[in-house]
This record gives sequence, C-alpha cells and structure tokens, in this order.
Amino acid sequence: MRSAAVLWLIAVLAVAWAEAAPNSPQRVRAFAALPDWTGLWETAASRAFNRLSGKAAGNEYEAINHYVQLVGPAPYTQAWGKALQAELRNPAAAASASNVKLCTYGFPIIMDVLQIFQAVVTPEETLLVFDDGEVRHIYTDGRGHPVKDDLWPTAMGDSVGHWEGDTLVIDTVARIEGPLGIGPNKLSARAHFTERVRRLDKNNLEDQMTIDDPIAFTHPWKLTLHYTRAADLDRMLPWDCANDRNPVVNGKISVAPP
Amino acid sequence: MVAQSAAAHHSGAMFDGHKSIALHGTVRLFQWTNPHCWIQLLVPSAAATTEWSIEMGSTSNLYRNGWRSSTLSAGERITVVIHPVRDGTAAGQFVAAAAVDGSSLGRAPARASP
Repeated sequence: MRSAAVLWLIAVLAVAWAEAAPNSPQRVRAFAALPDWTGLWETAASRAFNRLSGKAAGNEYEAINHYVQLVGPAPYTQAWGKALQAELRNPAAAASASNVKLCTYGFPIIMDVLQIFQAVVTPEETLLVFDDGEVRHIYTDGRGHPVKDDLWPTAMGDSVGHWEGDTLVIDTVARIEGPLGIGPNKLSARAHFTERVRRLDKNNLEDQMTIDDPIAFTHPWKLTLHYTRAADLDRMLPWDCANDRNPVVNGKISVAPP
Repeated sequence: MVAQSAAAHHSGAMFDGHKSIALHGTVRLFQWTNPHCWIQLLVPSAAATTEWSIEMGSTSNLYRNGWRSSTLSAGERITVVIHPVRDGTAAGQFVAAAAVDGSSLGRAPARASP
C-alpha cells in the first residue's frame, strides 16, 4: 500500500515537472536544428535610400525604384499585358496611380521595398515582422493550405513552409488579385509563390522567389531578393501613418498644415 | 510607367525634383513623426513672413542619418534646401539642412548607388 502511494506521488511529480518544463526535449532539439536569422534585415532599396540625408530628393528619390525588382518587367501573356497597358493608359487610372499613398504594402512587394523586418524562427512557424506592423506567418508544422472553404484572398496570402537543411521553402497562395501597389505590375488571383530563403553568411540573407501565375504569365517569373543585416539598428524602429499630412485633394497628394 | 517610388508612403511626383531652393528661416516646429518628419520654417521676406512645411523621411530614415528628435528646436535659425511642390504652395521635400554656422544637420546627402 505504501509503495503504491510512493509510485503515485512519483508519477504526479513527473507529470508536474514535464508540464512545468519550458520546452519538451523534442522541441528543444527542433529549435537547435534551426538556423539563426536573428537581427534586423533590409532590402537593397532600403540600403540605398538610407544613404541619403532626410528624404531622398528628386531624381535620387525615384532612383530607388531601380533597386526594386518587382516593379520590373514581368512575363505577361499577350492578353494580360495588353489589358494592363490599356489600364495604365487610361487617364483617370494614370492620375490615380501617380497619387498612390500606402501605409501597408502586402505580399509580395513588402519583400522588396523599404520596410525592415525581423525573422522569428520557431519549429512551428517562421514570422517575418515588418517595421510597419505587417507580419508574414509561415507555418512549418507540417500543415498544408486550408481547404477551399477556409481559404480566402488576403494581402499577405496564405503561407506554409518546410526546411530543406538551412533553407526555408515557402509556398504562398491566396493573394488578393490586383496591382502590387508599387509599380505597374498586376497579378491574378491564381498567382502562386515559391520562395527559398537562406542565410548566405552572418550579414546576408537571400530569397529566391518564383511567381507562377497561370492567368497572367507565360512562364514563371524568377527573382532573387537580397537582404543585409541593418547593423546600425539595435531595435526595430516602427513606421506608421499616425501623422499623415498628405491628404489627397482633387485627386492629388497635397501637404496639410500641422 | 512607375506608379510610385518604393521609397515610401506616397509618390514623389508632387515635388519638382529638378528645382532646388534654399530657405533661410526660423524653426517654428520640428515634428519627429511617421510617416514623415516635418520642419515648419518661418521664412521672412520684405513683404511678410511665410511658413513653409518641409517634408522629410521617416523617423527611422532620419535616425539612421544622424538625426534625433532633439536635433532642431523652435526658435533655431537654419538654412534648408528643398525641392518645392509643383502647385506653388509653401511646401517642399527636404534635401539638406545647415545650422547658422554652416555645419550640416544630419548626414550630408548622397546619391543612391548600388
């Protein structure tokens, strides 16, 4: 009787210890196998822009676009390209496009503009946390995309991933159909994104992105995006539109008093 | 056609990037804010004093170029170079600034390069 009570107590203590442990041995091993992407990462456009004092001006300001690959020529089908050119030639659309204001960007352009991001790598998911508050959730727990009824288009799409060694392979679907937000490009609702993200060395991260759009493209669009560590920052500096003094007046961006 | 600079929040088309003017004035207000920081500068002329709104980069962009929220104070006399807005209002895009002794405020501007 006494030995049974001792065994029961040992069992209770073992369960309590296991529950109190911060991580299971299995999860600790899973963490240990993941690459270290600690730090803040920035795009080529951000690196160029932040060499400038204050806001980059005039031609320099527009020159930043040369670093943004996703504004470049996409492999459109003749029909999609023709329709897009017609849209861009429309005077109202052109005026609207030249007066665009953005406070968030969405995927995939968020991976190529000025926003700085932090990568949080866990066994269950990798999060890319951007300085404008946007977050990419890339689930790596073995799940697939949600079934049709549970999946609808969003600005970030739905991302799942898996690890091939130190490379995170990301599969993204269900991005909202439409323009990338910056530049002339536009994708259909069937755009499918595959990314292979890996750390090249301590200060360099690479994203080999393939965009396959069976409606808009003749063949997959392949890009290699490159990020460097923002070594001059020791914390995330947030960006938002709290003091937006650029109202659109009569279709044009203007300057409002403080 | 590129609809908007990737540089941030809005297109730079409102500014005349081919025209630069220097404003000599007194800081009324320095807003250390997002999406842009702003300098409100009182610029006297023979006829009157005009308040200019000068749009800068984000706090992060300025911070990385040596600026802080304390870099400018109300009452401080400075010279600011801007690209003016195209519609003729007293506003523009920040290019560079200097204190009365001629020293540059923040990091000196540089052209974007690879």
